[in-house]
Amino acid sequence: MSSSTKFLTLKTCDDKKFVLDEAIAVRSQTIKNMVEDDCVSNVIPLPNVDSKTMTKVIEYWKKHSEEGISKDMLMDFDKAFVKVHHSILHALILAANFLNDKEMLDMMCQEVVDRIKGKTPEEIRKEFDIKNDFTPEEEEEIRKENAWAFE
Amino acid sequence: MDYFLLLPEGCVCDILSFTSPKDVVISSAISRGFNSAAESDVIWVKFLPDDYEDIISRYVSPRIYPSKKELYFSLCDFPVLMDGGKLSFSLDKKTGKKCFMISARELAISWGVDTPWYWEWISHPDSRFSEVAHLKCVSWLDIRGTIGTQILSKITKYVVYLVFKLTKDHDGLEIANAFVRFVNRVSNKEAEERASVVSLVGKRVRRRKRNVKRPRKRVDGWMEIELGNFINDTGGDGDIEARLMEITRLHGKGGLIVQGIEFRPE
Repeated sequence: MSSSTKFLTLKTCDDKKFVLDEAIAVRSQTIKNMVEDDCVSNVIPLPNVDSKTMTKVIEYWKKHSEEGISKDMLMDFDKAFVKVHHSILHALILAANFLNDKEMLDMMCQEVVDRIKGKTPEEIRKEFDIKNDFTPEEEEEIRKENAWAFE
Repeated sequence: MDYFLLLPEGCVCDILSFTSPKDVVISSAISRGFNSAAESDVIWVKFLPDDYEDIISRYVSPRIYPSKKELYFSLCDFPVLMDGGKLSFSLDKKTGKKCFMISARELAISWGVDTPWYWEWISHPDSRFSEVAHLKCVSWLDIRGTIGTQILSKITKYVVYLVFKLTKDHDGLEIANAFVRFVNRVSNKEAEERASVVSLVGKRVRRRKRNVKRPRKRVDGWMEIELGNFINDTGGDGDIEARLMEITRLHGKGGLIVQGIEFRPE
């Protein structure tokens, strides 16, 4: 490994290119494995991630790689980072899953957990735009079977 | 658009496993996708206590369950006997935390052994244990139960109950003292000084004294009276003792049937 800064080019599924310091990009275990196995040519394709999502991911990676940033500042950043529409939240989970960044994946999943906890099925459907695909009879049956949880 | 459909199923299960048993059951009513994810062993094994395999190995009659969810709900709904029937174990349905009941035989009951004219040991059709303690008559009422905090769920507030019934001719049980103490940290004397006043008899007592705790009817047909509560932090606090006593007013007391002492998450 040389001590000078190396850059990698990432290409998202919508053909946008991102040039990124390798030291930052290897927060992704997927990219790290590729680099270590010497599979990196000029451009690393990310077929499962779009540019809008990748911009957010890079924003997160850069902030978490900043030198001398305090824990409190990172916590404030994370708090604001996850307060996004659920469609972006899901895209970030898929991206973190594909890029294999466990820290980021856990944080995004925790946000979904927090949005589910203590809510009713109606509230959760509304929060995440989920369609109720049960028949009324099926739903009634589930509620009856688990009456203790719906009291 | 349902974005959850795009997530790998393992991811949805991971997310659900970080909620609570109650939240997962509620989630199962959101949609078919959630309903199927909510069945996963990955989720329910997380809600079982860490030491569930050890606990299961101590069962009196071991059973096999087809899924972790079935095991979970079986443990909630049907307390199992362990350690040769001295102890019963179950889970609190909403949280998955551990509940234990110490059988009367494992309690320290003054005048309870070899003096059947004070306390006799009988079988009872409603009891989960093979024997219950029947108080015929005694003036010195003193019942103690001890459990190790390491076996209980961590970072959990527990409430301790005496589980009992009264016979028709019960007598002298309107007032007693109760406390719960960490055996290594609080002496008996200190605990007695801040004991609470309880009544094993429901409504018939005149409301002369305030702050007298009263019994409640349980769904299993028994009565319970709170003896006290405590917070189990890391499980490293040694033994915890719960005690019910009336040894200052030495009138005759009788007509009490004790099933055990229960340690239950609040």
